[in-house]
Amino acid sequence: METFVFKDVNFCYPGREKKALDKMSFSIGESQFVLICGKSGCGKSTLLRHMKKSLIPYGEGEGEIYYCGQDFMHLDDRRDAEEIGFVGQDPENQIVTDKVWHEMAFGLENLGLSTNSIRRRVSEMACYFGIQSWFRKNTSELSGGQKQLLNLASVMAMYPKVIVLDEPTAQLDPIAALEFLETLRKINRDLGITIVISEHRLEEVFPMADKVMVMEEGRLCFWGTPRETGAYLSGGKCRHEMFLGLPAPMKIYADVDGGGDYPLTIREGRLWLSKVFPKIMLKSLPESEEEPGEDREKAVTIKNAWFRYERNSEDVVRDLSLSIETGEFFCLLGGNGAGKSTTLGIVSGVNKPWRGAIRILGKPLEKYKGNELFTNCLGVLPQNPASVFTEITAEEELYEALYYDPVPKEEKLLRIQQMMQKMQLGGMEQAHPYDLSGGEKQRLALGKILLREPKILLLDEPTKGLDPFFKTILADILRELKNQGVTIFMVTHDIEFCGEYADRCAMFFDGGISAIDTPHEFFGGNNFYTTAANRMSRHLFERAITYREVVELCGRNIQKNNS
Amino acid sequence: MDTFEGYHPVVNFTYFLMVLLITMFSMHPLFLAMTFLVSFLYSFMLEGGKAVKRNLCFLIPIVLLAVLLNPLFTQRGQTILFYLNDAAVTMEAVAFGAAAAIMFTSMIIWFSCFSCVMNTDKFIYLFGSIIPSVGLVLSMCFRFIPLLKRRFREISQGQKYLGRNFTGQKLFRRVRQLGKEISILIAWSLEAGIETSDSMEARGYGLKGRSNYSIFRFDRRDALMLSSIAVLSGIVIYGCFQKVNSILYYPRIVFRETTAFSAVVYIAYGIFLLLPIYIELQGEIKWKHLYSKM
Repeated sequence: METFVFKDVNFCYPGREKKALDKMSFSIGESQFVLICGKSGCGKSTLLRHMKKSLIPYGEGEGEIYYCGQDFMHLDDRRDAEEIGFVGQDPENQIVTDKVWHEMAFGLENLGLSTNSIRRRVSEMACYFGIQSWFRKNTSELSGGQKQLLNLASVMAMYPKVIVLDEPTAQLDPIAALEFLETLRKINRDLGITIVISEHRLEEVFPMADKVMVMEEGRLCFWGTPRETGAYLSGGKCRHEMFLGLPAPMKIYADVDGGGDYPLTIREGRLWLSKVFPKIMLKSLPESEEEPGEDREKAVTIKNAWFRYERNSEDVVRDLSLSIETGEFFCLLGGNGAGKSTTLGIVSGVNKPWRGAIRILGKPLEKYKGNELFTNCLGVLPQNPASVFTEITAEEELYEALYYDPVPKEEKLLRIQQMMQKMQLGGMEQAHPYDLSGGEKQRLALGKILLREPKILLLDEPTKGLDPFFKTILADILRELKNQGVTIFMVTHDIEFCGEYADRCAMFFDGGISAIDTPHEFFGGNNFYTTAANRMSRHLFERAITYREVVELCGRNIQKNNS
Repeated sequence: MDTFEGYHPVVNFTYFLMVLLITMFSMHPLFLAMTFLVSFLYSFMLEGGKAVKRNLCFLIPIVLLAVLLNPLFTQRGQTILFYLNDAAVTMEAVAFGAAAAIMFTSMIIWFSCFSCVMNTDKFIYLFGSIIPSVGLVLSMCFRFIPLLKRRFREISQGQKYLGRNFTGQKLFRRVRQLGKEISILIAWSLEAGIETSDSMEARGYGLKGRSNYSIFRFDRRDALMLSSIAVLSGIVIYGCFQKVNSILYYPRIVFRETTAFSAVVYIAYGIFLLLPIYIELQGEIKWKHLYSKM
């Protein structure tokens, strides 16, 4: 029997003209793994919330929804709680209690189970998810990945039939995200639980899915297997906006006229490439002319810095030396908890190293007094944009940044207007900052910081939780800033983003920098820690990092083979 | 290893409640000496040398203060030691001051032992078993405290990045800035609260017949311990009502005679106080014994 059947479901939020769901009709079979993708604001979340009765948003709804053959609107509340699990985007906010064991028992307590059966289920889930070692910990001590795993485990303890997940890995680093998705796949394969998930990062989840739904402005655009979806997104006269989010092998396949079956994974992609190109004429693209290495001024220099958080703790940063030139786009990569954000804190003067010297624009950091450092010099975009929002509209938010500036009001308003345009937030002047989407919130925060006209911009994981479309907007803005001579220092997990846009990348490991180079040399030299396109093509091509470069090389090789 | 902390919260709580009650209402030197020495020893076993230092920091000034001040405020007592500005300083007043000081410090030390043994989980359990919803609210509060702290730190940091560091500047600016920061904290927390309440509802909060789970199990060992606590403290309290531990400080220090019954009460009190230490030591010995055989 079908788990969910949607028949002409419409939904409209109160006070809005546009429908959030428009004639949605589809059915999800038992034990299926369903992926829902689409741009931010396309109605994914609204649709997912229609699959959990207690979370259906307030507004005007039409159409019929059936759950296991039963009218969903008349589903018993207890069954809804028990059989349908929901996991949202923010790992932190979904946790209710202070202890891990209590969190796992929370739902079961609500169902009124006896102490003995709660104990059995909780221990069962703790074992299945490998939670034993942190079972008695405080929930506040957990990492983001552990928190999200705990959210999943506490839902699983209720023995659900369906789990609905709304961008569950958006706030996780790539390794934790992969681990989370693997767990989901395991649940689906081992226990036959139906999974409905929405995601931006399709690379890993795409091959796992049985069926993929593409949504656009509240409408169902496409509904088919991953391979069919790939063909749909890359076909047609102009590329679909979601095309950029596809896994690298699919993008490359779509752009190279090679024939054969659609590759979903890196492995399939490699095999497919080897088959298409039995003989390689051109191994790498001609190197682009490097700009003559004129000695530019250093924007940031760190010399032999050592840092630890507490007197008796271990050093997080050990003998770190680094210099960043003015006008450079520099990316610091590295594992979770390696000390990347700590390094950012050292540059911004929050973390004071116990040994070593830091210079910002040639001047020692400790010589900057009061607010001097953050006025026309250093701008920092915090990981969570909510921490800079104080006002009730986007426009006032930007005005606040200029509050103490001794310039006439007209000029301030003009500058705000220009900044709104520059951040591509036109038309959102009166929106409440909290009502903006993730990418827009971040751009508003960035705009607020840029109004202080920094010469150096520090970014802490700015691509976290952004969809591919918002990522390209961010990249455009950063490129524009770079052209104006702003130095950008970015800490990130996002290998693909670095490969495409950075001037130099560095790997942070064991308290120091273990490798530093241009993206081509950097990723070309790594075997695993590199972009998907590179992993797929490195057995044939050299130093091809982005999917476009691989496509270009494929094209040239085809030409050569033909001539 | 067997420790008193490992016992059921009800056992822990009853023990400390009884100890504190008896300590509070007895000024008999023998009772005081016992409770003081045992509390000192127990806090040393729980926290080590740190506790000794802290306890002495409490003890010495309080004893000195009480011994010096009490005779100045009270002229009662028969045995005059000397005169200070025409006021008599009596031995009884000094003794009472010392006894009160010892009682007070013992209470403090017992409380520090109490907070070592009782963690938040146990508190939540105890309150939760009386009123279940209070238990959940407490648990949510204990989650919120570190969360709000961290958020506030993040917010002030974010504001500093915007050049909003006004330490040492005009009061008005500082107040305005603090107001802003608190308003962000509230807005952010409310926004996050919506997601938390969604998550609670999604997991069936509000359904009828909520049960209350805890990781604590009341087993035979706990029953045994609880009954020993009940019997021993029962004897002591009965003794107290029979005035075994009564003492007169004024006008002359008068003890009761030691009878067979009062001896029983003293011994019972001693055993009662030593229960956790006994458990702790026994656990230690057993562990060493097992370990040496391995």
